[in-house]
Amino acid sequence: MSTQYRGLGRRRPLQFSQLGLHVIIALLLALSLIPTLIMINLSFKNGLQYRWERWSLSLPLRGSNYNAAWDVIDGYMWNTVLVAAAGLAGVLMLSLIGGYVFARMRFPLREPLYYAIIALLMVPWVLSFIPAYMLYNNLGLLNTRWALIIPNIAGGPIFGIFLMRAFITGIPEELYESARCDGAGAWSLIWRITFPLSLPGLATLSVLNFVAEWNSFLWPLVTISDMSKQVISVGLFRLSRTTNDSVDFGSGGPLFAGYVLASIPLVILFIVLGKFYVEGLVESGIKM
Amino acid sequence: MSAAQTTESDSARRARNLAGGSQKLWRGEALNLRAIRRSWQAYALLSPIFILLIVFVYYPPLLGLVRAFFRWRPGVPATFVGLNNFITYFTYAETPHELVNIVKLLAFGLFAGIVMPFVMAELIFFVRSAAAKEVYRLLVIIPMLVPGIVTVLLWQKLYDPYLGPINDLLRAMGYDELALNWLGEPTTAIYAIIFVGFPWVWGVGTLIYLGGLGQISHSVYEAAALDGCTGIRRVLRIDLPLVLGQVRLLAILAVINAITAFQNILVLTDGGPGFSTMVPGLTMFHSAFRAQQFGYSSAIGLMLFVIAMSGTLIINRSIRSTDEDSSS
Repeated sequence: MSTQYRGLGRRRPLQFSQLGLHVIIALLLALSLIPTLIMINLSFKNGLQYRWERWSLSLPLRGSNYNAAWDVIDGYMWNTVLVAAAGLAGVLMLSLIGGYVFARMRFPLREPLYYAIIALLMVPWVLSFIPAYMLYNNLGLLNTRWALIIPNIAGGPIFGIFLMRAFITGIPEELYESARCDGAGAWSLIWRITFPLSLPGLATLSVLNFVAEWNSFLWPLVTISDMSKQVISVGLFRLSRTTNDSVDFGSGGPLFAGYVLASIPLVILFIVLGKFYVEGLVESGIKM
Repeated sequence: MSAAQTTESDSARRARNLAGGSQKLWRGEALNLRAIRRSWQAYALLSPIFILLIVFVYYPPLLGLVRAFFRWRPGVPATFVGLNNFITYFTYAETPHELVNIVKLLAFGLFAGIVMPFVMAELIFFVRSAAAKEVYRLLVIIPMLVPGIVTVLLWQKLYDPYLGPINDLLRAMGYDELALNWLGEPTTAIYAIIFVGFPWVWGVGTLIYLGGLGQISHSVYEAAALDGCTGIRRVLRIDLPLVLGQVRLLAILAVINAITAFQNILVLTDGGPGFSTMVPGLTMFHSAFRAQQFGYSSAIGLMLFVIAMSGTLIINRSIRSTDEDSSS
């Protein structure tokens, strides 16, 4: 019945409306990509091109802008990678352990303890921002890398445990049964069985966590005053404030080259793990 | 959030059966000392997590809750001042202005955070070719590959009154009088901030909607098509009611964001020109890190928390998903 319905002169108007769809989607995507394209275009310009040919593609491309930019922001880039990697390692480990314990072990107060963690997802950061600063101040952690690593290791597992518990619950119980029969303890059940089987879940968590760390701005802005320990977002902010590209046109190209360089780790991350990110959002059917 | 819980219940039930079918297992176990001692492993594994949570996640907001009623600055003992911090904020001349700005940001944030991603998701969902769908799904994330701060700094350049492309374009079209200093005029600054990110086809929101639309069963669409319910009518009558769970999630995120976020404003105008783009979050930030008034700042944080929570509750009540409300 439905095939017959489809055959009844529906094809031609649909083809037309399909074309319209593609045009509208392309237009919306183009509009959202304009700032990115402008950034890339400006990153290759020398002073004269930056002043007189800002919106057109102009040759020759000045690749040395990237060398100049890298010399300024390489420290910020490495700091961010270091802090994000250290935090991520802790987040993944604690989320895996927590996810396993709540998914696979039975013990008194399991559910209350689980909800005591998940409820923290509902506390907006605005309530803790100021007092957390004072806490790190009192602990003498301000202006150290710990001030950037600890919040991630402590706060990251909240969503991590939520995600990994759901993931680990989906692992067939039979695998655990046979391992238990062989006398495996909790520790080896986690590392020998759960860990290799939950790699996709850990990949999703890694992307989410790394993107959040790479974007973090306000917290490092207030807790780190020593620019040699500062992260990329704050570094670029300072750079944009000290670059006077409306007078010194030659400084414009390197500034935008720095913006492009700061995006590259995220591009690499999405090329390698983006699949898990898109699938995690599209296929989990997340809602409230 | 509900998706994760439904996947959970299946194997949880299986685990319960394996353990002898005790009904109490799902809630934990009988609460006695022997059971607790027997489960020492679970508690030992959880202890690092809870130590970190208690010190660095539970303690700060509780501290903020208390210190909102204190005069508090680094190196000086805190003194109790009752409701003074709140009274100071609500009698401050610029406060009504800040709240009006929040309302503007909120009204717009709901549109940009809910409507535009829905439109984009529907457009992609209507595409027939699976390959094209896949490509669009990837393209919507490209703007997210640029760090958030870079996006904001780029928009600042786009608005530049002399070198920015927006004014260049207006001048090229002959509208010289429209080429304003968008971020520098008190009348336009807040709208310029709102306009950042145009056309707001935000990747995460679009993907969340696509996930919801993908879960609608084919039989629903076939039945609808037979009744002649297609196109826009199908979107409003069938798709929208079936993705209300996603709408609610994005609405809550949009409300919390509109009320608490001030990062873009800090970077673009820092509240200026004058006080025209000030919001409570930015006042909180300034009073802590410029004026060292951490008690006052905590009070504003607490107030924003209460507003954001009320907004969340209102949305939770007013957007009811179809599983709860089958009257339509």
